[in-house]
Amino acid sequence: MIAYAANLATIVAIFGILAATLNFVVGFAGIFSVAHAVFFGLGAYAGAQVALHIVPDALLACVVAAVVAGGLSLCLALPALRVRGEYFVAASLGLQMMATTLFSEAKAFTGGIGGLVAIPRPTLFGMEVSVLPLALVALALILFATALLQRGAFGRTLQALRDAESAAEALGKNVAAAKTLAMLFACAGAGIAGALFALHLSFVNVESFTMDQSVLVMAMVIIGGTGTLWGPVIGAIILLSLPAGLAFVPFIPATEVGAVQQIIYGLAMTLLMIFRPAGLVGDLSKGRATA
Amino acid sequence: MLFLQLLLQGIQTGALYALTAAGFALIFGATRIFHFAHGTSFTLAGYAFLFCWNGGLPGWIGTLAGIAVAMLFGLAMERLVYRPIQRHEGSFFTVFVAAFGVAVVVQNLVGMVAGRGFASVDTRLSLATEVLPDVFLAPIFWIAIAVAVVLFAALSAFLTRTHAGVALRALAQNPDLLRAYGLSSNRLSMLAFAVGSAMAAPAAILTAMTTGLNEAIGHHVMLISMAATIVGGVGSLRGAALAGLMLGVAESVALQFVDTQWAEAVSFLVLFAFIIFRPSGFFGVAQTR
Amino acid sequence: MSGPQIARRALMGTALAAPFIRPAAAQGGDPYVIGTLFPMSGPNGEYGTLFTSGAALAIEHAAQDRMLRRPMRIQAEDTQALPQQGVIGMTKLVNVDKAHYVLVGFTAVSKAVAPVGDRAKTIMVNGGAVGPDLAGLSPYFWNVIPLAHLETQAFLPFLMQRNLKRIALVYVDDPLGDAILGLLRTELPKTGGELAGTFSVPRTAQQFGPVAARVRQVRADAVYVASFGAQQAQIIKGLRDNGIRQPIVGYSALSIASVTALPEAEGVIFTSQKFDYTGGSEITRRFATDFKAKHGSEPGAYNANYYNAVRLFALLAKDLEAQNTEVNGDSLRATLLRVREFDLVGGKGRFDDQGNMSADIQVNEIRGGRVVPIA
Repeated sequence: MIAYAANLATIVAIFGILAATLNFVVGFAGIFSVAHAVFFGLGAYAGAQVALHIVPDALLACVVAAVVAGGLSLCLALPALRVRGEYFVAASLGLQMMATTLFSEAKAFTGGIGGLVAIPRPTLFGMEVSVLPLALVALALILFATALLQRGAFGRTLQALRDAESAAEALGKNVAAAKTLAMLFACAGAGIAGALFALHLSFVNVESFTMDQSVLVMAMVIIGGTGTLWGPVIGAIILLSLPAGLAFVPFIPATEVGAVQQIIYGLAMTLLMIFRPAGLVGDLSKGRATA
Repeated sequence: MLFLQLLLQGIQTGALYALTAAGFALIFGATRIFHFAHGTSFTLAGYAFLFCWNGGLPGWIGTLAGIAVAMLFGLAMERLVYRPIQRHEGSFFTVFVAAFGVAVVVQNLVGMVAGRGFASVDTRLSLATEVLPDVFLAPIFWIAIAVAVVLFAALSAFLTRTHAGVALRALAQNPDLLRAYGLSSNRLSMLAFAVGSAMAAPAAILTAMTTGLNEAIGHHVMLISMAATIVGGVGSLRGAALAGLMLGVAESVALQFVDTQWAEAVSFLVLFAFIIFRPSGFFGVAQTR
Repeated sequence: MSGPQIARRALMGTALAAPFIRPAAAQGGDPYVIGTLFPMSGPNGEYGTLFTSGAALAIEHAAQDRMLRRPMRIQAEDTQALPQQGVIGMTKLVNVDKAHYVLVGFTAVSKAVAPVGDRAKTIMVNGGAVGPDLAGLSPYFWNVIPLAHLETQAFLPFLMQRNLKRIALVYVDDPLGDAILGLLRTELPKTGGELAGTFSVPRTAQQFGPVAARVRQVRADAVYVASFGAQQAQIIKGLRDNGIRQPIVGYSALSIASVTALPEAEGVIFTSQKFDYTGGSEITRRFATDFKAKHGSEPGAYNANYYNAVRLFALLAKDLEAQNTEVNGDSLRATLLRVREFDLVGGKGRFDDQGNMSADIQVNEIRGGRVVPIA
């Protein structure tokens, strides 16, 4: 039972990392990426490969995952420098769709649809550890870094170019570098989440890294409140536990359980957006969030 | 001959993509709402036709029902979801998440009511015969092209010749000016949703006959429409339609050169390349940065 | 794209609440928990319904016969046929519900959950998936369905006899599709046939016109379709609509209503486990009669397989109860290996050392919307 609660806490922490890092680019830099699951996936595959073929060291897996995902964040930084708004969303959707196909086909790296199985349990300095403390530490570090960056000069540069990009540029801010760095940070963070995810489930396949997953993470950020520190984490907790209430619904035929869950889930997403568009944590009086 | 076959098949698919994409582009151009539930209009229209057909009703009643359902859904989205959100000046992404939620709800409702999985309209129209050596064409090929041509002719006549149509185009360009002339942008936005959603219905009906429907089909349709709108250049119906056609052809002709599993990725590769190298699309006004 | 499928996350949520709803592990008089990891929603939901109805009937029959001291109950976890949900659902079944016995289906899901069950020593029984690598996944992973290599072994001579020598394969590139690809590649030449061309399609592909054009190019004698669920119907319609006149053949996944009801599927030939519902044993007849009374239709192979899976549990647990031994993975496995042969629907089921049941294969044809055995 405790093992099970820990299992779920781990998943919440991992998605908390994902949402917090995505929030960093969405909320502070105004870059709406629907390809976050791609970097989650890259990290997961990289971490899994390290654990399978080198050593199942959690730290090494996370570092390699962060490097791989962060390095490939250039794929997304490139369109981010060229276009904004809907165009960028479309570009990231395009990247997401291509990545899904690549993940299914690059069997040597990803195991295809069959995925990578039997990933060994993680170790830290030679001792077997559970993923939960690692995920919580990673989440805390990322939130701490976000808070620091948000207050620092870098964060203010980002917010300036979110609100008025041309003005920021005119003031001599290096827009391209700031955007690229923001993407790098967010994608590397997603990569770390991926590595932890792979070590935790000891199984990964492409179906965890599809557009649905990207949209889910995006929904966590939006529902929690973009540009806030705790909003994304709260969004993650809510979206992962919202359907829990369904377990109290007395009787739904077994064949309809899945559908009913999704319907309530979808409804909740829509209603929240209609009645609290700035998110649960976001300040409504400030009006719109971004974009 | 393989090339000709793939090209023709691509045109058939592309004609349907073009219709749906034009509907999306019309809505997006006029209202600036990224109507992510456009694919849901498509799904609903397809299933409405299917129900009528299986109920033994003649095809034209099914077609009207399909169009009516798509229009009603589009209008309901505009009134009940998008307008309340825009009153708060909700961000583009708030709209996106809300629409996505609706898409999830409808998809599952359709699955519960109409059954999950594959459903198709049983008709001889989709059965291809050999017209040239090793080139097979179905009657539905000609229907798809005829429907696309007629509807585009009608749409452009509507947009250029009628008062409402001209106003719609004006709304796309300068909503404030329109308000200054005393036109209601609210009513025009509803018009855009009605016409745009109706455009999805013929494509949905033809798809029900060819590849068949499932409750999740709207998703793919939506992505293609969005890609076509961007590739064609935002604000240009002609561009969206051409881009839809091109994506359909690219997806099919690609099989001449690559293995079958890559067909789907080709459309999105085209989209990605366009955004990086020519973000304004075919006809759009440059909107970089 | 497979469409918005958020239930996987929803599942996590359900699981989150579960500890608070049903506290305490199984006690003396508590029911035996039969966990199911089936797709209950999404494009493969049709299978989940089929699988569950078979298992539920077996529980009903066992209760009528008072086979066990404790009742059995089904704890369903929706996998949507996706491995990730499978792992999450399996973790819940093992840790929260303390399932005694878990029914699984689908090759990819089975492979993903096997390590979880293996670690927890929980018996997992597959009655739906036929990937050959499902044999020997774990000592606790059994199959009550003949796996694909048995199906193709029985099928290839039939194809040769019909003079269908050049086979084109349209397959989904997942563990099952790979397995069938591998089997056809090695086994076809041995029987005098030839693999004329292979066409991989994404699991979520919908347009098969262009694929059909490519398939036509290889001039095959028959087209083997190795997909599952609703996509099979779409592939068959896509091929038939676009000028493929050759016979379409496949494996047991084709025996679902969305395929058999499709007009274009007329004449499709596929293999499945052999069942004789009318002339067979008492158990078989009772199953067939009661199933028909309940669901108004003839039972299919999947209904029977999962009936057998649950019946197998009841037989094993009865044996253990008689010896006053605790029912767990190890005791169930020991009993299976000791007894080996069981009276099941379709006749005697014999299990090998790995827990795989062997059974005869029959070849079926879809005629007028019905599955008719032809060899």
